[in-house]
Amino acid sequence: MLSIKNLHASVEEKNIIKGLNLEVKPGEVHAIMGPNGAGKSTLGYVLSGRDGYEVSEGDVSLNGKDLLELEVEERAREGLFLAFQYPVEIPGVSNMEFMKESVNAMREQRGEEPLSAAEFLKKAKAACKQVQLPLDFLKRGVNEGFSGGEKKRNEIMQMILLEPSLCILDESDSGLDVDALQVVADGVNSQRDGKRSFIVVTHYQRLLDYIKPDFVHILADGKIVKSGDASLAHEVEKSGYAFLGKSYEEAEA
Amino acid sequence: MSQWLEKVIGEAQIQDYLAPVRQQALTQLKTEGWPARRNESWRFTPLTSVEKRNVNIATQGHDAPVPAIDNLNAIDLVFVDGVLITQVNGLDVPAGMSITSLNTDDSDTQQAVASVFGQVKPTRHLFGRVNDALCQHGIFINVEAGADITTPIRIVNLATQNLDAHTRVVVKLGEKAKAIIVEQGVGDVDSLTTAFAEYDIADDAHLEHYRFAMFTGAAKQLGGSHFKLHNRSTLNSTMVGYGSELSRLDVDIHHAGEFADAKMNAIYLLAEGELFDLHSTIEHAMPNGTTEENARGIVGDKARAVFNGRIHIHRDAQKTLAELNNRNLLLSRRGVINTKPELEIYADDVKCAHGATVAEIDEEALYYLLTRGVPRSKALVMLNFGFIRELVYDVPNAAIRDWLLPILSERFTHMEVK
Amino acid sequence: MSEQIEQALERKYEAGFYSEIESETFESGLDESVIRRISQMKGEPEWMLEWRLKAYRSWLEMEEPDWAHVDYPKVDYQAISYYSAPKSMKDKPQSLDEVDPELLRTYEKLGIPLHEQEMLAGVAVDAVFDSVSVVTTFREKLEDAGVIFCPISEAIKKYPDLVKKYIGSVVPRTDNYFAALNSAVFTDGSFVYIPKGTRCPMELSTYFRINEMNTGQFERTLIVADEGSYVSYLEGCTAPQRDENQLHAAVVELVALDDAQIKYSTVQNWYPGDENGKGGIYNFVTKRGIAHTNAKISWTQVETGSAVTWKYPSCVLKGDNSVGEFYSVALTRGRQQADTGTKMIHIGKNTKSTIISKGISAGNSNNAYRGLVQMGPRADGARNFTECDSLLIGDKCGAHTFPYIESRNPSAIVEHEATTSKVSDEQLFLCKQRGLDTEKSVSMIVNGFCKEVFKELPMEFAVEAGKLLEISLEGSVG
Repeated sequence: MLSIKNLHASVEEKNIIKGLNLEVKPGEVHAIMGPNGAGKSTLGYVLSGRDGYEVSEGDVSLNGKDLLELEVEERAREGLFLAFQYPVEIPGVSNMEFMKESVNAMREQRGEEPLSAAEFLKKAKAACKQVQLPLDFLKRGVNEGFSGGEKKRNEIMQMILLEPSLCILDESDSGLDVDALQVVADGVNSQRDGKRSFIVVTHYQRLLDYIKPDFVHILADGKIVKSGDASLAHEVEKSGYAFLGKSYEEAEA
Repeated sequence: MSQWLEKVIGEAQIQDYLAPVRQQALTQLKTEGWPARRNESWRFTPLTSVEKRNVNIATQGHDAPVPAIDNLNAIDLVFVDGVLITQVNGLDVPAGMSITSLNTDDSDTQQAVASVFGQVKPTRHLFGRVNDALCQHGIFINVEAGADITTPIRIVNLATQNLDAHTRVVVKLGEKAKAIIVEQGVGDVDSLTTAFAEYDIADDAHLEHYRFAMFTGAAKQLGGSHFKLHNRSTLNSTMVGYGSELSRLDVDIHHAGEFADAKMNAIYLLAEGELFDLHSTIEHAMPNGTTEENARGIVGDKARAVFNGRIHIHRDAQKTLAELNNRNLLLSRRGVINTKPELEIYADDVKCAHGATVAEIDEEALYYLLTRGVPRSKALVMLNFGFIRELVYDVPNAAIRDWLLPILSERFTHMEVK
Repeated sequence: MSEQIEQALERKYEAGFYSEIESETFESGLDESVIRRISQMKGEPEWMLEWRLKAYRSWLEMEEPDWAHVDYPKVDYQAISYYSAPKSMKDKPQSLDEVDPELLRTYEKLGIPLHEQEMLAGVAVDAVFDSVSVVTTFREKLEDAGVIFCPISEAIKKYPDLVKKYIGSVVPRTDNYFAALNSAVFTDGSFVYIPKGTRCPMELSTYFRINEMNTGQFERTLIVADEGSYVSYLEGCTAPQRDENQLHAAVVELVALDDAQIKYSTVQNWYPGDENGKGGIYNFVTKRGIAHTNAKISWTQVETGSAVTWKYPSCVLKGDNSVGEFYSVALTRGRQQADTGTKMIHIGKNTKSTIISKGISAGNSNNAYRGLVQMGPRADGARNFTECDSLLIGDKCGAHTFPYIESRNPSAIVEHEATTSKVSDEQLFLCKQRGLDTEKSVSMIVNGFCKEVFKELPMEFAVEAGKLLEISLEGSVG
């Protein structure tokens, strides 16, 4: 599914990812944890192809395709979905219009007919309901005036509608209370079907109580420094990132 | 002096109760004549199509289909080729308001009209002077103090023939009165319409105003809406401009009282070889006023948009808050955008700002749309139209909102997008 | 509080003295014979005279511009003397020792010592006194680097090919009323040529001084930076305090060939007139640069003087990827009027321009920013960013912004922002609560307001500009 080999990437000429390797197989859930500044969010941006994130070395393939060769929207249509930590507000563009356009772009990629307005509305309403967003959200501008929690739920709703093959969740837990976290996690878990894969990027172990990972990786200074099963997350929870060395502890403080 | 203007001067008949204003306008037309080529007010908007025009003014009205705005449920007042065809005397109007023709013998009405006619609109507008001198058809709307009129009044100018039309609207809102007034202009024939409206808004009154300048094709429109705001009065105005061979709108908002609040949104969508020129002037003559103006436009093909937004803070207008923002998108290499926001400030304790942009796309928003698989070209259209839609969402009247969005969206999809 | 500020704004003009120097001055008046005499005095070749006469004939056909936001009595062009030079310059001194000591003292008083050993290291100066260049320092050192830095009158004779090729190439003779007048009667100014690939080893600088009564100063500066070269040029100006208005109509042309960079900084401190608007310099100046491929032209100006200023240092971004910058501080007080700004003409692809303008108005003055940003149909990917901020001190002054934006290219991006503010009572209170007096507080706040521009000035000039502003505000704040 996803294969990252020796990835090096920089932002504004500063190296952030420095030789990262990761293999994700269909249906797996990988958690990536790490201290602030380790390059967690950068990884999502690099994989999605954001401008200004330069890959200097390494290979990334998704379902056998060279991801790095593709434009942002082509990567999305190949099944890569990034749930943003801070989704941007786009006043004047309604959620409905936006999602209809993207859902149909995905369908076109899969060789399916575009959805009619009625079919789309039905799907969108169901997704809205699933993440407990009121229906009038569909009419409002993308993320416009949404609270932090609403924005996160909106991201999950988009994920449900777009049916990606790989979901990268960038700190989808940040700023959420327990109830909202449950909604987000339920949304994610509903999409686990044995084929769809997830990379859950998080600072805290908390989210992983709701979304159970198959693997946990510790990202530090642009590399994966330790990998293990779910128990590794608990270890981090107990003792922090101390095992990474003193400098990280300070960064934490 | 242009051939057209000479004929206009010859055409003027000055004998009714509005003679003083008409005479002054005529004198100014004679002394100041036709604008020179580098005249600042017409710098980017050539008047060549008017210069050599013949003067033909309709004497008889006829019926013509009036474009509908669903669910607006307005009282329609219709001018066809400059002739008022609505029987205003027979209208069933809500209590607290009256609608009369400017051709009235009633001396009280004459007095009320004269207190507004030519008193709100500054004398510097060339075609305003023409209208002062020539307009024979006009409407006076009077809203009594305290009356809250929820039925919108719509004034429609239809151009159906190769004629010159000069129509006038005079509105007086009494203290604490409320009204909704829509001005609309439609037509695509080789006509010339000067439609000017003057609004005198008394203390604590509120006006919800619309101007849909939707002339297209060979139609020439040279009009204006002018507002005088008294103490604590409020104005919420939305303007929509289509372009035509020559379309020019002059807007003046004059804060004549303290604590007045004006909000004005303007949208223009231009295609083919259309031209639309919006000149707005906000005069803060008194302290504590607030103004917020947003003008946004998209220019495609060979069209030209001209925007001149002036904010003038007078010496006494301390504590004024005024903001003007103009955003433009140019979709074609053959189109032109000329924008000039102006600040002229003579009081120090004020907060004023203006901004103007051309073709600025929010890169972060674009990236977000792309990560969801939306094709780049579609994403640009969405974002481009999104900034127009934002202003439509801001329209206070739901029927107008529902009417505007699809017609603007339709117009936009026919514009060339890179 | 604003009254206190205003009181504090009454300051003296420190460069307002007059030097007793014997001069040769033309009687006032302008006709073709005057132009022939100027040309003759300068020993010019025939082509230069012809060029001047053509300019003069066009000027006669032109009208003085009236669109600026300034108001002043019409200039009587026949009441001005078009040439004045210190007598001692007749046989041009060969070294500083031969220069009239009174003249050297004048420059010393202005803080511009012309003796090389006393100068700030690394700044070469051309001093223009009324109509002539009196001395150019560090010439040998510059010649070693291949840099030509000399009075333009000398360049016309010594480097006619260079001058002929570039003079009028950026600001045509008939560009505007004042440029045409200048082209007809210019008397001196500086000429700079930086050869290919050369980084000018020191800052170049010209000081302009109007001394004689009823004279106009019409200098002309031409800077040519050949491919891949770099030069930083500074310009300063002062004049005696007089009741009459004097005219200064200069032309500056910059040519930045491929990959070249020109940085042009001005500290303008002409006599602004007295509190009632009597006297002062009319500063009607045309400055423009043309940037070829990958070239960069940067204008920085600090304008504190002159009764009336009409000045728009501009960039024609002709070459692809060329860059234009304009950083300006304009301070007006008393009855001063300034209408200043810039034009950024984007012609080439991926051209970029930045405009930062800070206007400070005090007293009864009027301060206007006027600018044009034009995106041509070929200017794919061009970008402009403009920020105009005005600060009002007191309620009798005016601050105005007139930006013209024209775009003909769908991929060009233009952003313009303008704001206005005042020195707030809260800001003053905070400063005073921390122990500063009002004057210092205001000068600090104003300096902060101008910081973005000051940081663009070469070090020595930044200090000078800060001081000038402080002096300008001195006593202005009680």
